[in-house]
Amino acid sequence: MNIVSRGVKNALRSPLRSGSIVLMLAISICLILSMLVARSSVDAKINEVKSTAGTNITISPAGVMGFSGGGDALTNEQLATITSTAHISSTSATLTDQLGTTDTNLTASLEMGNFGARMMRFESTSTSGSDTTTTTNTDSASAANSTTESARPAPTPRITVTGTTNPNSVSTDGSDLNITSGTTINGTSSELVALIGDSLATKNSLTIGSTFTAYDKTVTVSGIFKTNNTFQDSGIIMPLAAVQTLTDQTDAVSSVIAKVDSSDNVSSTVTALKTVLGTKADIVSQVEQAAASVSSLESISGLALAGVIGATIAGAIIILLAMILVVRERRREIGVLKAIGGSNRKVIGQFIIEALTLTIIGSIVGLTFGVLVSGPMTNSLVSSSQTSSNSTTTRSGPGGNDSAAKMIGRGFGQISNNITQVTSSITPTVFILSISITLLIAIIGSAIPAWFISRIRPAEVLRTE
Amino acid sequence: MLVVKDLTKKFISASGDVTAIDNVNLTVQTGEFASIIGKSGSGKSTLLSMLGALDIPTSGSIEVDGVDIAKLSASKQTAYRAKKIGFVFQYYNLIPNLTALENVMLALEFGGMPANKRKARAVQLLNDVGLEPDQQLRKPTRLSGGQQQRVSIARALANRPAIVLADEPTGNLDSENGKKIFDLLHKLSRSEKTTILAVTHDMDIAGKTDRTFKLKDGKITI
Repeated sequence: MNIVSRGVKNALRSPLRSGSIVLMLAISICLILSMLVARSSVDAKINEVKSTAGTNITISPAGVMGFSGGGDALTNEQLATITSTAHISSTSATLTDQLGTTDTNLTASLEMGNFGARMMRFESTSTSGSDTTTTTNTDSASAANSTTESARPAPTPRITVTGTTNPNSVSTDGSDLNITSGTTINGTSSELVALIGDSLATKNSLTIGSTFTAYDKTVTVSGIFKTNNTFQDSGIIMPLAAVQTLTDQTDAVSSVIAKVDSSDNVSSTVTALKTVLGTKADIVSQVEQAAASVSSLESISGLALAGVIGATIAGAIIILLAMILVVRERRREIGVLKAIGGSNRKVIGQFIIEALTLTIIGSIVGLTFGVLVSGPMTNSLVSSSQTSSNSTTTRSGPGGNDSAAKMIGRGFGQISNNITQVTSSITPTVFILSISITLLIAIIGSAIPAWFISRIRPAEVLRTE
Repeated sequence: MLVVKDLTKKFISASGDVTAIDNVNLTVQTGEFASIIGKSGSGKSTLLSMLGALDIPTSGSIEVDGVDIAKLSASKQTAYRAKKIGFVFQYYNLIPNLTALENVMLALEFGGMPANKRKARAVQLLNDVGLEPDQQLRKPTRLSGGQQQRVSIARALANRPAIVLADEPTGNLDSENGKKIFDLLHKLSRSEKTTILAVTHDMDIAGKTDRTFKLKDGKITI
């Protein structure tokens, strides 16, 4: 018999009470583990999203989005300012324009459709008005018949021309533009050369070296590209300077994409650009967009941390109350131990070992449950938040429901391989954290009772019952 | 030898100071079996707790073999209780989840005996007080009052103390068992040359001891 064996023996003295203490403790330790695991995997996910976000900043004229809105285009001078801003490693500027039937001999490969028709309704009303006048002047006899027709002529879709300093920036998937035949163009030149979208080329039977008319000038086809994006594949890419000259907008840029040297500098660069450009430009960075899309993950991470703290406090309180109860109940026994020569150190040591035994048993049970539970829990936390962030950024409504249903199924299916999953997510940091939290629980849980013990007078033992 | 000089103990209560022990002087020779008798509230237990270093006197001295225990530091008092004093209580006060043997071994541990020698010594002590080998492995709840008190005496004697202090050792036993326990204590005081000081209200028992002190309102009257 020594302190340790007495402490362990005392911990198991009342199986019912010890059992319930261990159970309560196990629940809170299980929570601590799963919250720590959740937090570390959510944090890992956040870093992953942020690191893949890229360092591009998009600068567009204030009030302009694509072809919608209004306002003044950016100028070459502003482009120079952007390029000379600290941390910006490269820029690509674009100017987009649309070719109507009078501007080119090409036929648009896009159908007008309901959407296009609605977008064009203002312009078609005004053109139909002038058309009517012309018709009346030239052919007054058929005026009555043609008025109804030409009042609403079938509007024709337009062909988008993108003038850019970097043709690769048109690519939709972030990689270089996929040129299916011919060669790419030099964005900084002012030659009348063009890259033609695959669909437009097919529609107009264009091949390498073919020419077409745009803005009363002859343009040579240098290459054909394919992005699998219907809108892009129906467009034309030309050097920025060429489009600026052709459209009489020598100084205009409708969008600038600036690349920052490091993701750490993105937000400071955005601030710097906002100061320089003021209200003339709208500035959006990919990192900011990514930050917005991981904000739900960040709130889960914060919630998990709150869970860890809460469960730790709960665990410590459970042990604390249990030990206070035990000390009060064994007041007389403590008096006896002291009366027959037990020092404070030995008596307190025995009770600390008792608390430690309960904590260790609780931890073993709790960690076992935690390993079983934290896998699906983390999974559901991470995938559900991913679903929601996807649906906000890409607006894929029904897709969200699908993956939620799949997720539930997955949650059950994965119980079998949880152990490997969780072990992989238990990083040394998480492991050390759990161990120190458990120790903290035992220390808090026995420090106050120890103080009570030291205050029990051995004369207590002579009290008659 | 136990020498108590001018021992006074006062308690501070709301209604003023209460003098529980008032200028007590007494001497007990080594190996003597002395008894203290007195009514409830006469200060018997207070005197006993000070002799056993469970409480500190307000003034006066308690010398055990020439050492004033009232002036010892807290840790020295603990050591004094472990090695020089043995307690026998009215309600036995055995540790309930330890067997009879383990209860005695616990006192030996506190007394500083090496772990490998404790068991043999505890078995011998329990044999001396007349506890059967199978009873030695029982927990207190499975022993009778008399048997528990025997274990308690074995525990008190474990570290060969200078003084055994007994607080109503037969108070919770029937007269037959009470007599057996008394005889046991008496025999031990003779064979082990241990000073025994027993508090009792049983005049029969008090009459058989070597010396009797009568305590009334905190003062020795005889």
